[in-house]
Amino acid sequence: MDLPVKQLRSKAEQDLLDVFSAVNEALPGAENKTVAKIRSDALADYASVGLPHRRVEAWKYTDLRSQMPEAFPLVQASGRAISDAEIETALSPRIAGIDAYRLVVAEGEFRPELSDVTALKEKGAELHSLAETLEHLPEELKPLLAESGYQRSGFEVAPTATKQIPDPIIALNKALMTGGVILRLKQGAALDKPVHLINLDGEGEPSASVTRAIVVLEKGTSLDLIESYASLGGRGLQRNAMTQIVLGESAAIEHSKLQLEDAEAMHLANLIVTMGAEARYNGFQYSLGARLSRNDVRVLFEGEGGTMSFNGAALLKDSQHCDTTMVVEHMVPHCTSRELYKAVLDGDSRGVFQAKVIVAPDAQKTDGKQMGQALLLSQGAEFDTKPELEIFADDVVCGHGATSGQIDEDLLFYLEARGIPEPTARALLIQAFVGEALEQIEDEPVREALTAATADWLGVAFD
Amino acid sequence: MLEIKNLHARIDDREILKGLDLKVPAGEVHAIMGPNGSGKSTLAYVLAGKEEYEVTEGSITWNGQNLLEMGPDERAAAGVFLAFQYPIEIPGVATMTFLRTAVNSVRKARGQEEYSTPEFMRVVREHAKELKIDPEMLKRPLNMGFSGGEKKRNEILQMSLLEPSLCVLDETDSGLDIDALRIVADGVNRLRSPDRSMIVITHYQRLLNYIVPDRVHVLSQGQVARSGDADLALELEKTGYAEFRGEAA
Ligand SMILES: Nc1ncnc2c1ncn2[C@@H]1O[C@H](COP(=O)(O)OP(=O)(O)OP(=O)(O)O)[C@@H](O)[C@H]1O
Ligand SMILES: [Mg+2]
Repeated sequence: MDLPVKQLRSKAEQDLLDVFSAVNEALPGAENKTVAKIRSDALADYASVGLPHRRVEAWKYTDLRSQMPEAFPLVQASGRAISDAEIETALSPRIAGIDAYRLVVAEGEFRPELSDVTALKEKGAELHSLAETLEHLPEELKPLLAESGYQRSGFEVAPTATKQIPDPIIALNKALMTGGVILRLKQGAALDKPVHLINLDGEGEPSASVTRAIVVLEKGTSLDLIESYASLGGRGLQRNAMTQIVLGESAAIEHSKLQLEDAEAMHLANLIVTMGAEARYNGFQYSLGARLSRNDVRVLFEGEGGTMSFNGAALLKDSQHCDTTMVVEHMVPHCTSRELYKAVLDGDSRGVFQAKVIVAPDAQKTDGKQMGQALLLSQGAEFDTKPELEIFADDVVCGHGATSGQIDEDLLFYLEARGIPEPTARALLIQAFVGEALEQIEDEPVREALTAATADWLGVAFD
Repeated sequence: MLEIKNLHARIDDREILKGLDLKVPAGEVHAIMGPNGSGKSTLAYVLAGKEEYEVTEGSITWNGQNLLEMGPDERAAAGVFLAFQYPIEIPGVATMTFLRTAVNSVRKARGQEEYSTPEFMRVVREHAKELKIDPEMLKRPLNMGFSGGEKKRNEILQMSLLEPSLCVLDETDSGLDIDALRIVADGVNRLRSPDRSMIVITHYQRLLNYIVPDRVHVLSQGQVARSGDADLALELEKTGYAEFRGEAA
């Protein structure tokens, strides 16, 4: 029985509409008709669905509507100088110390004076501030900016899916984005170091930060990209960050995303990766901070022969909640996707890993596998995982698995019997559990920094 | 000196050790033999402090210390070492990290200076060489993909690195080829000393040709059913355990 539902907005839902009315005319690109239209359409999309809640299948385990009592106003950029020491504090010295070209986005704005703009340009990278680009939007960027995150395939067999429901988080990003970067490597460009995109927010009064990063790798180029998200203060941060990665033919990216925000932050992130022929994506997401975090990851295989490996680890305690939800769409034949996600859950924390693999009717020879594993360190911790396979082709190899358990007492005893005190023995085993995912990181300094960050979280050091 | 008195231990409500008495003076090697399921490994685990085994009665003292009041790591620091019958594979834990953490934990607990990494590497290499362990193997996660014999040798490597004073070897000989048996036995014999006691659990007299025991005990039905000198092992080799099984009936 379909009854018309009366729109009853929660306070946060109404707040978000009010935020838009308040800032709309001052947002970058307000003068640009195309941009203004993208924003107003997006707001309408958002208004039509509201915030996601547990009756929305993809948000089954993360009831954002009930977990977000209010929406904070958009951050007012002060443009103040941010010292290296502050960045080091926010990220940890190890992560801040990774040798890379820095791009800093703070208070919702790209900060060229804190970034290695000249060095990057000298190496042939094209770099733009998102806010400036919005003022005179080039035609070819329009589809990227207007991206709605809709499922691309599978409708032939499941016609109901054609009725796309807007993703309200992406819609809000489109409506409210204030800044970010657009990085493009043209054919032939090559960087000798990783690019570290540092996002810093949350200083002063509670505020929201809505940013976008777009990374385009043209044919044959490769990039090592680190994205880190951290807090400058702890008064309250609501983040909506969207990253789009477009990989041309044979392009390759090593992409690590580190979420290190303070314990009160709310982190809503979208990642959309489109894979050209023979493209290679090797990604890692490390979630350590935020009270509530949601990582939506969409990977679209658009050209044959692509390879994607997505790995992640969440280390959570207290009442932290981290949800990673993926949709991998194999639209063309001969592509490979791998997902391995590890959650270490202490206190009353909750980890969620949902991964859906869609194989379109002509995506033969698809090879897709996913695995979600949790280590529960306390009675109060909970792990929810939901693998989903929607396979419309017949010649494919797909599989999924999930495990959830406690530390193996026999392993623990073996270590203790060798003189290792219990807390250290536990830490070794937890480190080993997470290590399986960390090993997939090919960038050695990042792998080492995250291994050390894991040891820090565990409160031990194995040198 | 190890002194076990009237030891009763159970697991999952099933009593396995039923009033076991055993004394192993300092410097002696005692062999424990006995039919499958008689409780030999259970005794080894109880000595090492495995939690699942509940001691309901009796006492265990090691050089006057009450072992039953100590956690497994404290027992290791106090000198207890169990070479497992089935060494466990631990994925993701690098063998070297494990060894260094173990050795330094024990040294710290004993008030000795911890090894630096290079120092430790040197010490491990020396010991590994004596046991003919390929150093490449130590680069793998703990026991992962090691053959049965390699795992046993790795146990003896750990034993020599941890410098225990009470060594309990649970069927360290099973799964070893003839050459490996000699290497392991030599390794054990090197550790024999006036202040070190050893319990060697085995099914085969052959091992006892290499590691000659001061005493041999037969465990049956969770008790020491018979004790004797090294010749008892030879006798058992001929007669088997029929006599002890008979007692059970
Ligand atoms: N977790 C357990 N739950 C129930 N029974 C157990 C458990 N562990 C061991 N046992 C039982 O305890 C008894 C003694 O086992 P134990 O391993 O000590 O024997 P053992 O003398 O070492 O034998 P083997 O010569 O085969 O190694 C066996 O009957 C075994 O089935
Ligand atoms: Mg046994």
